[in-house]
Amino acid sequence: MAHKVCLIRGDGTGPELVQAVETVFKVAKVDIDWIEVQAGLKCVEAGKPIVPKETIEKIKEVGVGLKAPLTTPIGTGSVSPNVTLRKRLDLYACVRPIRSLPGVPTPFDGLDLVIFRENTEDLYAQIEYMVTPTVAQSIKIISEFGSERIVRAAFEYAKKHGRKKVTCVHKANIMKIADGLFLRTFRRVAEMYPEIEATDNIVDNQCMQLVQYWKKYDVLVMSNLYGDILSDLAAGMMGGLGVAPGANYGEGCAVFEAVHGSAPKYAGLNKVNPTALLLSATLMLDHLGEVQAQKDIEGALSATLSKGVKTYDLGGTAGTQEFAEAVASELK
Amino acid sequence: MELHGVDVYIWTPETPDLPKQVGPLSLLLISNRGTKVYPPPAPEMHLIDWPRCRYFSETPVTDRDVNELLDRLSADGWVWTKAQKLYRIDRVDQFSKPY
Repeated sequence: MAHKVCLIRGDGTGPELVQAVETVFKVAKVDIDWIEVQAGLKCVEAGKPIVPKETIEKIKEVGVGLKAPLTTPIGTGSVSPNVTLRKRLDLYACVRPIRSLPGVPTPFDGLDLVIFRENTEDLYAQIEYMVTPTVAQSIKIISEFGSERIVRAAFEYAKKHGRKKVTCVHKANIMKIADGLFLRTFRRVAEMYPEIEATDNIVDNQCMQLVQYWKKYDVLVMSNLYGDILSDLAAGMMGGLGVAPGANYGEGCAVFEAVHGSAPKYAGLNKVNPTALLLSATLMLDHLGEVQAQKDIEGALSATLSKGVKTYDLGGTAGTQEFAEAVASELK
Repeated sequence: MELHGVDVYIWTPETPDLPKQVGPLSLLLISNRGTKVYPPPAPEMHLIDWPRCRYFSETPVTDRDVNELLDRLSADGWVWTKAQKLYRIDRVDQFSKPY
């Protein structure tokens, strides 16, 4: 039976990236019933909310979505469609697998990490005040509930995927109350997973450790701000945002996305790298239980890159669709 | 800075049913972890026991108005743990809006 998946084609280069994914999926042995839903710039231009209610409802009903990059209109007061989706669907876990890809040279060989970022609280609750004309205050919210569910998600992922170690990243030496709660919760949850090694590290040291001793780390879990920073640092270590996949999980649904922007200046040029969205789509296959199809596509992608077929950002000359067809041909 | 209202953070597990008007201050919204949950619609999300309840007036109010609001909420049995006054400078809000 076909898996139902909501599809957001996105803005800017989004539609051509989706076309590339469709090209590969047509050849892969997996049956997806794509249900198109709308979000982003086109909705705003049509006088609708940037993420219409029907889109939220449909993703809730279907439970899975694949999202190409969306544009947040500048200067219109419009909210971010990405943040809106996370908030409205309560997608609390932002997951970024970070690993070396063949043919994508970086100084970090053998990179294989997974970052779990809490997605709904911390300073991103965006509660801010000017409390006097010269003093601003942002409120950092860390709740036991929010901490526990992201930490549990990290350990459950480690258990499911045979990972050996989960590291909590924090700044509890300074923020003893807020990050102290996060760390305390981590230590309590870790006791329920005795087969997995649990360690913790302060965020500044973790940044240094990641670029010096990346092979020591496995799964990392952290609150929103640290996760925002470390996931982009790690994406850079992997080769850049063009190759970094992302997934957002909630209790009842999950949305998979490339973490880069919509790159409107490249729209229609058949130029941008579809790897990030393709790898995000393979994370979706793992979520759907289509593990063989996931492995097949990731293998085909690796083979393509190893043969030197690359888009411009990786020093190659292949266009978006040409690259997708090369991956598809590896599957045949 | 002109005083226009107050965010009252209340210790309660649910979105509280608060008075809609106390003196010149109207209940404008309630948010939870920065996401608006009142007026409806509210997203399906876990609520922490610390909703932010925003009372506001388009015309400037006084400290006494804020104090009377807090007294009223306490008298009604609500336990508030933090209150933050809301200011405007040259008609520009000096506070963030919820999602």
